[in-house]
Amino acid sequence: MKIKAQISMVMNLDKCIGCHTCSITCKNVWTNRQGAEYMYFNNVETKPGIGYPKHWEDQQKWKGGWELKNGKLQLRSGSKPERLLKLFYHPDQPEMDDYYEPWTYDYESLITSKRKKHQPVARPRSLITQKRMEIKWGPNWEDDLADGESVRQDINLKNMAGEITMEFHDLFMKYLPRVCNHCLNPACVAACPSGAIYKREEDGVVLVSQDGCRGWRHCIPACPYKKVYFNWKTNKAEKCVFCFPRLENGLPTVCADSCVGRLRYMGVLLYDMDKVKEAASAPETGDIYQSVLDILLDPHDPAVMEAARKEGIPENWIKAAQDSPVYQLVKEWQIALPLHAEYRTLPMVWYVPPLSPITRRVEADVYLPEVSDMRIPIAYLAELFGAGNTQIVEASLQKLLDMRLLMRCLETGEAIPERLVAEKDTYQKMYRLLAIAKYKDRFKIPAGMQEQSAEKLRELQGSCGYNCPGGC
Amino acid sequence: MKAFLYGVLPYIALTIFIGGTIVRYVYFERNWTTKSSEFLSKRDSQWGNPLFHLGLFMAFGGHFVGVLVPKFVTEMGGTDEHTYHLMSLAGGIPAGILFLGGFLLLLKRRFAGSARLKVNTSVMDRWLYLVLLLALMSGMLATLSNIPGTFDYRETISPWFRSVLMLQPDISLMEGVPAVFQLHMVSWMLLAMLFPFTRLVHCLSVPVEYLFRRDIIYRRK
Repeated sequence: MKIKAQISMVMNLDKCIGCHTCSITCKNVWTNRQGAEYMYFNNVETKPGIGYPKHWEDQQKWKGGWELKNGKLQLRSGSKPERLLKLFYHPDQPEMDDYYEPWTYDYESLITSKRKKHQPVARPRSLITQKRMEIKWGPNWEDDLADGESVRQDINLKNMAGEITMEFHDLFMKYLPRVCNHCLNPACVAACPSGAIYKREEDGVVLVSQDGCRGWRHCIPACPYKKVYFNWKTNKAEKCVFCFPRLENGLPTVCADSCVGRLRYMGVLLYDMDKVKEAASAPETGDIYQSVLDILLDPHDPAVMEAARKEGIPENWIKAAQDSPVYQLVKEWQIALPLHAEYRTLPMVWYVPPLSPITRRVEADVYLPEVSDMRIPIAYLAELFGAGNTQIVEASLQKLLDMRLLMRCLETGEAIPERLVAEKDTYQKMYRLLAIAKYKDRFKIPAGMQEQSAEKLRELQGSCGYNCPGGC
Repeated sequence: MKAFLYGVLPYIALTIFIGGTIVRYVYFERNWTTKSSEFLSKRDSQWGNPLFHLGLFMAFGGHFVGVLVPKFVTEMGGTDEHTYHLMSLAGGIPAGILFLGGFLLLLKRRFAGSARLKVNTSVMDRWLYLVLLLALMSGMLATLSNIPGTFDYRETISPWFRSVLMLQPDISLMEGVPAVFQLHMVSWMLLAMLFPFTRLVHCLSVPVEYLFRRDIIYRRK
């Protein structure tokens, strides 16, 4: 057993209102500069929809993530020698048009325009060619199902067994905020020819070394979530950094901090590094979720704590793992699920699937809705969060409904139904974390390796100048 | 003039080539990149880029044997001058066609293709393409003009190049070298001087170690 700590995130989609505050704060902090204008380390998609970049979930097209080949885990884009041949031309590399061409507006024409019969307009101008352009697609073109045609092309709808027509009377939608998943088995790391992408040992954050990156661009098609981007100005790869400078100081990422719905949770998970590959190689995609749960370790178990100390994980990290809201949501209550587990990267950003209004068909006489009565088809949610396994999603949604039922009973004084699986106490805890969602309950982030670094810094006192932090 | 071209300039070129590359790697690794433009436009890079690189590898291999391996070694191996010349033509002409053809496709893509490629084309890139074109054309013309094999570069240019590497340049060897070959000499020296300042440096980053490394990398701060 080799224990590692991972900073992980949960998003409670039940509360996401699609306001894009997370995207905007992230954009302003990280990608508000030339070469990165088109990048959204955090973006919010309306589902169903083809997303950003277009059709990112269609791995027949992009060949992202891993697959089992004769029982062995291999990148979908081929063997190592096969991939090195693609250094010269990568057929699966997305182009700028798969995202969108970034633009600005000629605002100055509003001021400099001469007196005319009509109002002056600020026309769009490309940030790449600096020429006038026609806007054909943007980072959030499908917001609230805006582009009806592309919505129907959602690959998840196609993969569902049932027929979904997206006619007006049975329309449904939900929001899906996406960041880099800081996977346990990241395909981008495995695909990087230069070895420039790595997982940080202390907190599992996946980073691209801007010195080590040679611009071979293999990480971009390899990531099944398309969350590594190519900077056209520096010609190197960039991705969400999980706001690591904030994490190191015990603060949550800006997307999580600024979330007005208070639906993001962050905390530490402990996992067994030796079993990661095995977990990612589960024969059936529907079983991957369970195999990931199995490698997440109980931080209250004395044996686990001992092993963690042996690996050099500091006490405040073990404490944070015990208090982790993410551990509760993911492992204890099992209501937070991985996005597209079938890509086999073992994503460490988890989603509590959303409840939705009941369908018109059952509207007439319903007291409390059943999972199967909801507008968003279970089969659709299962494509996203269950690798096609509907039971996983149903179990999660049922717990959310049971929580509501119990809280209602407590409020009205009705008898608590017998069928509830968990203790009353558990539902109340769930309610407190999910509905009340205090800041200090949502984020339990230990400041980075405090004990060691404080000591080290003291040793360094007086030994280095201003221009060379850390001494040289 | 000859003394400068073949006794001094090669050393200036090699110094800039090696010194500049080291300085860039040590102090400016942040901008060490292939400068790939596939993200901006995939058009024409599907054929142009692989052909260009294939031709380049073939040409590099040919130059390696022709310039660095002394004539007596190949002759000891039982290859007489005539056979060697035929072999070099058989490899060199296809290599040149692929190399030059790929390069022209890439030039067309860059300067007559998508307008977006402008942001991937710096002033230094323009100089690079000019000098590279010069080196390619002069090399191709030299090969074609010497199909009959009247000029033996392995008696003149190759020993001179090795003498340069041995730090005892023998300029007399370069007497009577045809003009097109001399142009080729000057162009490679210019190219070597441009090398550290351009995207060419990515050829030193061929990811061989990738074949032997583990999939997932963990790194300490």
